[in-house]
Amino acid sequence: MRFREGVIAVFVMAALAGPAAADTPEQVRGAMAAALKERLPELAEAQYPLGSAAFDPDLRRALEENAAAGAGAIEAGKALWTRKFRDGRTLAGCFPNGGRRAAASYPQFDPRVKRVVTLEMAINQCLKAHNESLYDHSDPKTMGVVIAYLRSLSNGQKVAVRVPAAAEERFDQGRRLYHTRLGQRNFACASCHLQGAGKRYVDAPLSPAIGQATHWPVIRRGAPLTLQDRIRECLELMGAAPFPTGSEELNNIEYYLTYLSNGLPLSANAWRP
Amino acid sequence: MARRHALLAMWAAALGMPAAAQAPAVPPAFVQSDKGHCIACHQVPDGAGPATRADLGPRLDGARMRTLGKARLRELIDDPTRANPNTVMPPFGRHRILERTEIDRLVEYLHALP
Repeated sequence: MRFREGVIAVFVMAALAGPAAADTPEQVRGAMAAALKERLPELAEAQYPLGSAAFDPDLRRALEENAAAGAGAIEAGKALWTRKFRDGRTLAGCFPNGGRRAAASYPQFDPRVKRVVTLEMAINQCLKAHNESLYDHSDPKTMGVVIAYLRSLSNGQKVAVRVPAAAEERFDQGRRLYHTRLGQRNFACASCHLQGAGKRYVDAPLSPAIGQATHWPVIRRGAPLTLQDRIRECLELMGAAPFPTGSEELNNIEYYLTYLSNGLPLSANAWRP
Repeated sequence: MARRHALLAMWAAALGMPAAAQAPAVPPAFVQSDKGHCIACHQVPDGAGPATRADLGPRLDGARMRTLGKARLRELIDDPTRANPNTVMPPFGRHRILERTEIDRLVEYLHALP
């Protein structure tokens, strides 16, 4: 048991340190998958999207019982999605297929502006193009519900984020931030979601990094909470000043984290206590 | 008569009770989320603190704490990264999350665990 624990520790520490900067995104994802497999040999790939619930039967049961918790948010989001702008267009008109099957490929790298573009940014780009008021990224009543609806149109689609060569620096920035200790508590995201994955912090199991990006927004007390808002909550708990939503830092973390979940099915609007 | 015998028996039992079996008082810093919040990661023996399923850190038992000794415990709480740079445990003293007196009270509590 001691020898196996030592082997796991070496593997986890190597992954925590982060792969060499020259590694491709797929090599980075492979290293994370291998480290988590060493740490959690019993966890099947299909269970990764469950997050914390993969380790807690009571939580899994509660998730199933509350599967429709996002219905109100989705309904409200659909109304905004199909609302006519002053020029007669709609948000749906800005996306191919009215937004169906769009979410699985976000975030995306936009070579024109050389930035990672999240789904929230794409929505605001559409609103701006049609001279409509932009949505606050953190407002659950506008951006939150639209994201809840739009991502529900991709449920079951496999996450398929691309990192072209021009975007690798952004991906790498996200990776480094994920593995960097921050704040008064000196935690990195990886401290909990790689090193501590499957262990309980307070009473809740810590979700593994792979699978984390598949189920956003989550529905908490009936309201949608986006991935970046949740990361901000974590940063505050860590005693770190949280990066603003839509910042380069959070966009790049989201880019990295979502890429790690490539190949896993999207399942938006998961209930959380 | 029977009542007097019962009272005497209880008193005798109390006098015979060993001090080590009584759990130490839990310092506030052990449970407060803006302080040590040790309970977020560690379990303690039954009756010695709040029950939790947390297991991110090792279970804290008195024998292990006394083997480490108070000086070592103080160092580990102050800055555990000196012993293990990859530890998840925060450096409570170095990062001024806890005052020296709070660390001292935690050390006394841990050292007295069953």
